[in-house]
Amino acid sequence: MSELNSSELIKKTEQGLKSRVIVCLDVAHGRVVKGVNFKGLQDMGDPVELAIRYQEQGADEIVFLDIKATLEQRANALETVTRVAENLSIPFTVGGGLNTYTDVAQFLNAGADKVALNSAAVKHPDLIDQIAKGFGSQCVVVAVDLNQEKDQQLEGENYQVFINGGNTPTDLDAMQWLAEVEQRGAGEVLLTAMHRDGTGLGFDNELMSKVSQQLGIQVIASGGASKPEHFTETFLAGSDAALAAGMFHRGEYTVGQVKDELLRNGVAVRNEYLKG
Amino acid sequence: MIEAIINERHKKIGIINTGAGNLYSLNGCLRRIGFYPVTINQASDLERCELSALVVPGQGRFGTVMTNLKASGLDEVITNWYRDNKKLIGICVGLQIMFEESEEDPDVAGLGLLQGKVTRLQSPKQPMVGWADVQSSQDWLNNQTLYFVNSYGVRTSVQSIATVTYGQTFVAAVSSKNMIAFQCHPEKSGIAGEEVLKQCLS
Repeated sequence: MSELNSSELIKKTEQGLKSRVIVCLDVAHGRVVKGVNFKGLQDMGDPVELAIRYQEQGADEIVFLDIKATLEQRANALETVTRVAENLSIPFTVGGGLNTYTDVAQFLNAGADKVALNSAAVKHPDLIDQIAKGFGSQCVVVAVDLNQEKDQQLEGENYQVFINGGNTPTDLDAMQWLAEVEQRGAGEVLLTAMHRDGTGLGFDNELMSKVSQQLGIQVIASGGASKPEHFTETFLAGSDAALAAGMFHRGEYTVGQVKDELLRNGVAVRNEYLKG
Repeated sequence: MIEAIINERHKKIGIINTGAGNLYSLNGCLRRIGFYPVTINQASDLERCELSALVVPGQGRFGTVMTNLKASGLDEVITNWYRDNKKLIGICVGLQIMFEESEEDPDVAGLGLLQGKVTRLQSPKQPMVGWADVQSSQDWLNNQTLYFVNSYGVRTSVQSIATVTYGQTFVAAVSSKNMIAFQCHPEKSGIAGEEVLKQCLS
């Protein structure tokens, strides 16, 4: 694992932004679900109720990924987004099934602070430019799902970009795609290491560190977190934000416990949960 | 009947419709802290009810917001409200348009209620997205951790009452006459943000 040394951590802290802890709610048919390696879904509860619970625990942001998003359920999903916007006092991102500019506009107008584009960005990269121009870069999070190719003989870059919920490999060069995403106007990258997702082994910090140093936009680390130490490790490695789902949904840890751990290790985080 | 009860219990806050974004978060936040938000689409909407404050919300880019405000005549509404010493709140781009101009859209003039220019910020990562502590000489604002989303900002202002640092230091809040404007988004800043807005509006 490549880590920042303590003086670099202090420098990062002095730059001013808190390291963000983000809770991801995978939504299917209007319910929060959790799967392992994108498969085997299990019901976790109501999106709005869960979002508020995590906000109270100290979450800095919520990401809703509608992994079963269908056109038929669009009206329902938009209604949920508005309900979240009215009731949550922290920012939230919505992703899944957003294929066109109109799709994105609908969700932003319904109250989402940001949208996460994944497959659509790969299939129609122009969409990133259009949304950045129409709504601002701060609205556009591009989600990139990477899988480490274990058997590959190639040296150097050995991450493959996947789309369609992690089911379809692409020919994209991972680092080139990430650079393109930034250049087209994405405000943040949500980087999921699929080979870590659901394993509980911690974030792929070698990857996060590399991407965070390469890009001029913030990197949200995703995939593999199962305990508070994993957050400390990824922030020390240079991630700007880190996202987890299962460890919170299963009740193994609260967001507050993660932040306690981060504060103990000198990572600057928002500590409003301590006052609550 | 219900309307009458609401009128009696809650102070009404006018939200300027800048035509550049949704108002669900702001409205929800104002309701949670005990106010009743009313959308202001045109000057005549002011006559419908007695407002205890006007808020210029924080979505959209400088040029779009100013162009829309000019088209609806709400630019003059804001200016007159300010000159009459009434309570005025600005959020994010709602702070920026109080100044004379912005590098984001150099061809469009701001309201010019405050002297100065909005410039592109040199932050470690662009855009700035996230939570930061603000420094202020005023206790209610000092060291509050608030949510920022911006690439542009005001480096210095004589009306500054709070600053924030992300790579470089810039204005987090300004105050002039009965106006307080924030570069950050109090309506997205958890309980701290709600307390800040409550303090401004009470």
